[in-house]
Amino acid sequence: MFGARNDVPLDRDASSRFLPWLIAVMVYLATMSLVVAITMNKLANRWDQGLSNSLTIQVPAGQTPTDRQSTERNLKDLQDKLVQLENVETVEILNDAELNKLMEPWLGKDVLLQGLPIPFLISVELGQSNVKTIDAINKIIAQSFPEASVDDHQRWLGNLLGLAKVIQLVSLLVVILVGGAAGLMVILVTRMGLAIHRQVVELFHHMGAHDSYIAARFQIHALKLSTAGGLSGLLLAGITIASFSSLLGQANSSILPSLTFSAGEWGLFLLMPLGASVIAMMTARLTVLRSLALMP
Amino acid sequence: MDFKPLVRFQDVHLRYGTGPDVLHQVNLTLAPGSFHFMVGPSGAGKSSLLRLMYLAHRPSSGRLSIFGRDVSQQDRKELTMLRRRIGIIFQDFRLLDHLTALENVALPLTITGNSLEKVRRNVSELLAWVGLADYLDAKPPTLSGGQQQRVAIARAVIARPSLLLADEPTGNLDDKIAERLLFLFEELNKRGTTIVVASHNEALVNRFNHPVFKIINGEVRLIKNTQSPSVQHNTGAM
Repeated sequence: MFGARNDVPLDRDASSRFLPWLIAVMVYLATMSLVVAITMNKLANRWDQGLSNSLTIQVPAGQTPTDRQSTERNLKDLQDKLVQLENVETVEILNDAELNKLMEPWLGKDVLLQGLPIPFLISVELGQSNVKTIDAINKIIAQSFPEASVDDHQRWLGNLLGLAKVIQLVSLLVVILVGGAAGLMVILVTRMGLAIHRQVVELFHHMGAHDSYIAARFQIHALKLSTAGGLSGLLLAGITIASFSSLLGQANSSILPSLTFSAGEWGLFLLMPLGASVIAMMTARLTVLRSLALMP
Repeated sequence: MDFKPLVRFQDVHLRYGTGPDVLHQVNLTLAPGSFHFMVGPSGAGKSSLLRLMYLAHRPSSGRLSIFGRDVSQQDRKELTMLRRRIGIIFQDFRLLDHLTALENVALPLTITGNSLEKVRRNVSELLAWVGLADYLDAKPPTLSGGQQQRVAIARAVIARPSLLLADEPTGNLDDKIAERLLFLFEELNKRGTTIVVASHNEALVNRFNHPVFKIINGEVRLIKNTQSPSVQHNTGAM
């Protein structure tokens, strides 16, 4: 199909030179937006799975070393009670060394040794997030340490997940807008082509060419240009993803996302140039058919 | 009327947009196999009358029938099929510069789904008939005006049209070549093609024994009738 000679000389138009570049940019933007949407989805799932099944209990320590030792002993009883609860998998009391390590970035080395009233932290892992279990834990803590607080991460995790959802939606909106912009661009280019080659189009019409025959000249041309542009945009996006993936790998952070994608996700990325080609082809066809409909 | 008219204008008016009438109350009938000249000064309406005949426009009012079909009653597909039975030679040839002479001539066949390979032999023979056997692969810009004109004629007749319309085909030619061109049209006419030739060269036209219509200010008058049984005329102005 691509090898066939187009009897409307569209290849010589200026639009033939800039359309592939514009489509390449569009496909690049759409693919990168899709990458952001997929990555945010994965990140949100990771946060959700990692934190929604865990609780952090904060128990104020006494002012003196003696009080601290007393509280620490009582914490062991609390740990025993909590671990017996249904749906509780692990209950871990952070020891002084772990607390010191946790505080080190803000307060310096060995803060506990300096007599600061750093609270005890207990990390509880649940089999699954369950209101009944959380209520039971709150009840036990209220009995043993009324001044302790329980953080199930839901408030800030909820905000974070909401933010991730918004970013996802905006990314998908960008994909849709880019698709619409590509369509408008093709309409413009096709109309330019129709204006430039009006005499040829009229000639074909007068010779008895069906509208679909004339439209096919334009749609094949649009398909050729958009496929070339779309594949270039995808290649550029692939290079960008590989570069970011490499940088994120070097950072080796558990907070930052990893840019690795499944075959299905790569298939979605491949849909971007394919979608651009289909949009370009159909838009060109409809634009020409609408213009021809004005002829008798 | 003892024949079925090929083209029939009945009280036809044509105007472009909201402008004045370009053609005014045209009544004329062309019989199958007839040969007509259409003369008149530039801007008189010759090209507009031809455009109506090759279905580039519909009449603003009145009735136009081509091949026995009222064009105002035909849908787009039916009009397309009617157009395939009409050959047109444009004043400016309208050849496609990026195609060879052979591809240009083959266009009326390839646009209807025939492959170039399938029609190559017929097209080559026709180009040889118009004296361009050695120019099959030449592109229009490399051909002389006369050669381009012959390519345009070959393109107009390759699909064996029932009606051949020529708009000022002799415009750029000297009298001798113009006369030869009109002899060529007579040859086609003898083979059964109905021919209408628009020309502003009345002296040339009068050398041939065919009926002549004159268009002045959008009105059509028969100024020469050869008594051919295949020709009838009736203009509103007469």
